[in-house]
Amino acid sequence: MKARIEAELPFYFGPGKELFGFYHPAAAVTGTAVLLCPPFGVEQIRCHRLYRQLAHSLAESGLPVLRFDYFGTGDSAGDSHAFEWPRCLADVATAAAELRLRHGGGRLLAFGARLGANAALAAAQTARLDGVVAWDAITDGAALVRQYDSMEASLKVDLNRFEVARPDLDVSTQWPGFETSERLRSQLLELRLLDPGIASAWLTSSSPDEASRLGEPYASRQVGVDVAPRWDDVNGLELAILSHPLLEAARRHLKEMA
Amino acid sequence: MHEQAFRFGAARHLVGVVGLPPVIEHGVGMILLNAGMVYRVGPFRLHVELARRLNSLGYPTLRFDQSTIGDSGASGQRLSRPEQVLADVRDAMELLKQQSGCTRFVLFGLCSGAQNAHSTAYVDQRVAGAFFLDGYGHRTLGQRVRHYLPRLLSLSVWRQRFARRRTPVAARPAEPAFEVEPLPPKIVRAQLAEMLHRGLKLDFIYSGGVARYFNHVRQFRECFGRLADHPCVSVSYFKEADHTYVLSGDRQRLLDHVAQWMGHHFPITRTGSSA
Repeated sequence: MKARIEAELPFYFGPGKELFGFYHPAAAVTGTAVLLCPPFGVEQIRCHRLYRQLAHSLAESGLPVLRFDYFGTGDSAGDSHAFEWPRCLADVATAAAELRLRHGGGRLLAFGARLGANAALAAAQTARLDGVVAWDAITDGAALVRQYDSMEASLKVDLNRFEVARPDLDVSTQWPGFETSERLRSQLLELRLLDPGIASAWLTSSSPDEASRLGEPYASRQVGVDVAPRWDDVNGLELAILSHPLLEAARRHLKEMA
Repeated sequence: MHEQAFRFGAARHLVGVVGLPPVIEHGVGMILLNAGMVYRVGPFRLHVELARRLNSLGYPTLRFDQSTIGDSGASGQRLSRPEQVLADVRDAMELLKQQSGCTRFVLFGLCSGAQNAHSTAYVDQRVAGAFFLDGYGHRTLGQRVRHYLPRLLSLSVWRQRFARRRTPVAARPAEPAFEVEPLPPKIVRAQLAEMLHRGLKLDFIYSGGVARYFNHVRQFRECFGRLADHPCVSVSYFKEADHTYVLSGDRQRLLDHVAQWMGHHFPITRTGSSA
């Protein structure tokens, strides 16, 4: 176990080495590797530990894994307000190519939470993914934008957090925790769920928010998981999401696809 | 900007990112410690933004995860948590020294990070300065007066209280929170005095998010007496900000403050070098 963890490597990759990645090698069992696509903003930080645990679990079961941060997020280059959807999709493809390079080709699966799921699904073709496991994928981009706006509006008057309510000016260009841009807002408003036309599994939390409620044709294929991440709860911004049932469900579906 | 990721430490169990300025001179580097259980990027990416700002000013930086936090594993050594923290920060200083050549370090810690910065700064001679954000401090008579008096005199507070009595509001559920284990004030004061005697520069920053125990810049004197007059001590109270600097404007003000403080106490004598 210790030797395996030592072999896990943090590194920068991609054009200009702008993207941060963490490679979890594994003894080749199936020839399949897994790309973990993170969610966006505060959700990325809340899911960090969960992604690490999933990566360990998958690597232990013989699936090499690459975790990475999009441009403008995590340890990758770029300011937070530089995060944009087209670049995010390009980063998925860059990360997929990097993973292929490191594990030597073969099939590639992806797991993503929230916008991470949408990114994997939308980039599936260019990244040449063979399957995607999505968790609380965003089905309605406009609802997500409304949710972030509403959370920011609650945040500024949260007297559990601030001594005095903050004026609009202090929060006008932000979503919880991060600067945003008009471009990203427009891009997310247009966001719809894309059927990748490849193997897919749809994990949903026990009480999904409006932005990730699955309609047809996905509803009949959804797999409920006993996890309550409280994506829309402004009191949960600093809370890490940890869930054994989610890890188990994600691992099981990825193993089945491998 | 030049950043490089490392696995390092006695047991190669630690993970961190070194940021280097364009020109590297032997001087002072900054090490950013975990804020509670938040991994090395910091709350809302605060540590990434701060590290890059300092790199652009000429200071090398290392943001890293201490043992068992973020991407770092356990060291496998049988050490108490305080011993492990010290060992981890020493490993971090060694890495930053190898990568940048700097031999003196400024520690930056928020909440439990402040506590860890304090304990390390107290025992390690290579620490030249520290930022303690929402670190040690304790409630004082002045704090209680400032907290309760306006509430007693506020009509709206009384209205809310009566309204609540009529319509009971569900209490906010208890959540795991960033907490600093209190060290007896007497010990904190003695240890700070020892650090100042060694010539350390110390910056204490408190946010409005910890008004429950610290609510005015003057309170530092109420807590630590004459230490407040020491020329190497500076104290700030960011009343508007919350504990984790969730608003980007608050983070920018904090970054500006840190950059200014560094420039004052560890000035860059020419591009990429600090005195």
